[in-house]
Amino acid sequence: MTRRASILGGAAAIATTFVVFVIPFIFIVLMAFKDRQQSALRDFSWPTGFHLWENVAEVVKTRNWMMITAFINSTIITVVSVTLLVIFAAMVGYVLARRKTRWNGLIEFLILAGLMVPPAVVPTIWLLQGLKLFGTLHGMILIEVAYNLPFSIILYRAFVATIPRDLDEAAIIDGARPLDVFFRIVLPLLWPVTVTNIVVQSVGIFNDFTNPLYYLPGNANATVQLTLYNFQSQFSTAYNLLFTNILLITIPPLLVFLFFNRQIVAGMTAGAVKG
Amino acid sequence: MAGLELKQLLKSYGNVEVIKGIDLTIEHGEFVVFVGPSGCGKSTLLRMIAGLEDITGGELVIGDRVVNAVEPRDRGIAMVFQSYALYPHMTVYDNVGFGLKLARTPKDVRDQKIREAARILQMEHLLDRKPSQLSGGQRQRVAIGRAIVRKPEVFLFDEPLSNLDAALRVDMRMEISRLHNDLGATMIYVTHDQVEAMTLADKIVVLDGGVVQQVGAPIELYQRPANLFVAGFIGSPKMNFVEAGVDKVVGDSVTVSGPDVAGVPVAIPAGRLRPGDRLTLGVRPHDLVVAPSGTIVGRVGLVERLGNETIVNLELPSGASWLAVLEGDQILRRGDSLALDVDPGKALLFDKSGQAVN
Repeated sequence: MTRRASILGGAAAIATTFVVFVIPFIFIVLMAFKDRQQSALRDFSWPTGFHLWENVAEVVKTRNWMMITAFINSTIITVVSVTLLVIFAAMVGYVLARRKTRWNGLIEFLILAGLMVPPAVVPTIWLLQGLKLFGTLHGMILIEVAYNLPFSIILYRAFVATIPRDLDEAAIIDGARPLDVFFRIVLPLLWPVTVTNIVVQSVGIFNDFTNPLYYLPGNANATVQLTLYNFQSQFSTAYNLLFTNILLITIPPLLVFLFFNRQIVAGMTAGAVKG
Repeated sequence: MAGLELKQLLKSYGNVEVIKGIDLTIEHGEFVVFVGPSGCGKSTLLRMIAGLEDITGGELVIGDRVVNAVEPRDRGIAMVFQSYALYPHMTVYDNVGFGLKLARTPKDVRDQKIREAARILQMEHLLDRKPSQLSGGQRQRVAIGRAIVRKPEVFLFDEPLSNLDAALRVDMRMEISRLHNDLGATMIYVTHDQVEAMTLADKIVVLDGGVVQQVGAPIELYQRPANLFVAGFIGSPKMNFVEAGVDKVVGDSVTVSGPDVAGVPVAIPAGRLRPGDRLTLGVRPHDLVVAPSGTIVGRVGLVERLGNETIVNLELPSGASWLAVLEGDQILRRGDSLALDVDPGKALLFDKSGQAVN
């Protein structure tokens, strides 16, 4: 009986996954193959002709090759923010897990507050303008780092506790300075969480729509998600181009995910200390 | 060349004092073992010497420098941890060479030193492996290699063998002893295993409650313990104790009696005791011999016949239980009465404060 129940449960799970994740994706792909007229019907019909290359070319060329600029901008923002996030979050997680002081409670509260308190857009813009960072890529990078730091810290902190303190001490005896201990010993051992962080944060930041919309105005500053607006207007929407655009900008996160998913190595610390 | 000097060394966490003013001198090239029960502060003391714990008070001198405020890397020490603490993401080669790399030693010198250390420890074939691919003994070897390669003045060992199985422990013990001879460096070794302490040490430091109980050569500690704690801690099986009072003093000998013993003669220099003094008599299980007219009489409990010796659990009249290790194979029956005697030169007496009288 339990066997049958588990088979049924599995089948139900697969079916649900298919409906929720795969069908929309198939819909996107089909739409990207259609011409404008057919796509306006927004149905599940088979494309009448092969229009993918035309659509792709048009999407890329629209508004003076905005797509290319957007890809460059998004890549810069994503790579730099994720790098900073990994380094800073790992540092904070390391110090929080290792050094017990009376400030820990307050710091943990602030981290949680960072997760819970919704960002206030207008004051942030005001602050950015004051710092002359509004509408710049590095301003955007700082915003992404600040918004995502608490989550990354929480991921790291729990994991740092699994790295034996003896390793830090052995490194100190070997002559390592604090930064050596962190970059040569602790950070490499945090690789499994780092991978998780890279996957989660880079997909999130690359696909971020609202923050670039608020804090990064201007055509030269477009990010990939904002290019979606190119084909939507109040009265007419080119659905074939919109979905081609979606298809194009889905590819990089998908690649990140496929590449790093294999890198998550469990038990990196095996052999460090007597198990 | 570096000896160590500990002057009134103190360590406290908040209001809790864990090391209560330790004075100790360690000569260059000495093998010193810190022993004591769990929580006696021996590991803390070692970590203070290593620089992993701050020193609350007192002075620590290594060589001729006061090193209280000196970073661990500049103290000329190397440490081997109980858990080995190998860097799991590096090969054995990189593990051993990590300290040299941090010190920016040129690559060829580094390579030469790593291979030299590997040769000393006979682990050249392991250099390309990761720690997870090594057995416990091999890991410990790598940890020692990491220490050797730094050419330290002082080696610190924090219970290095307690994670190894019994056979390997004996091997590694000999290895460490050989290393001490070959390198001629000062070694400080923490253990709770008294066999390790007795076999390795030039000098044993017995610690309890953050205080040095006694410092001395292993045999000295065994034969002439300074107090009840050392007497009970050193030696296996444990020393037997019983309450007793002085009957009479004749020259360099006294006779003591108590609820469980009647007229045991003990050699004591004249003038130290007077009739009526209350004391604790201590006798090692190995020093008891069967004698029909013996002064210690009890009922035989559990008997373990090992062939070469017989271990008897003796119940004394007051209900106290003593162990006696008797020579050869003795046929004893449970419940029988057994009389034992002790050589007056080997029985020990401790006064009310627990200090040895003889």
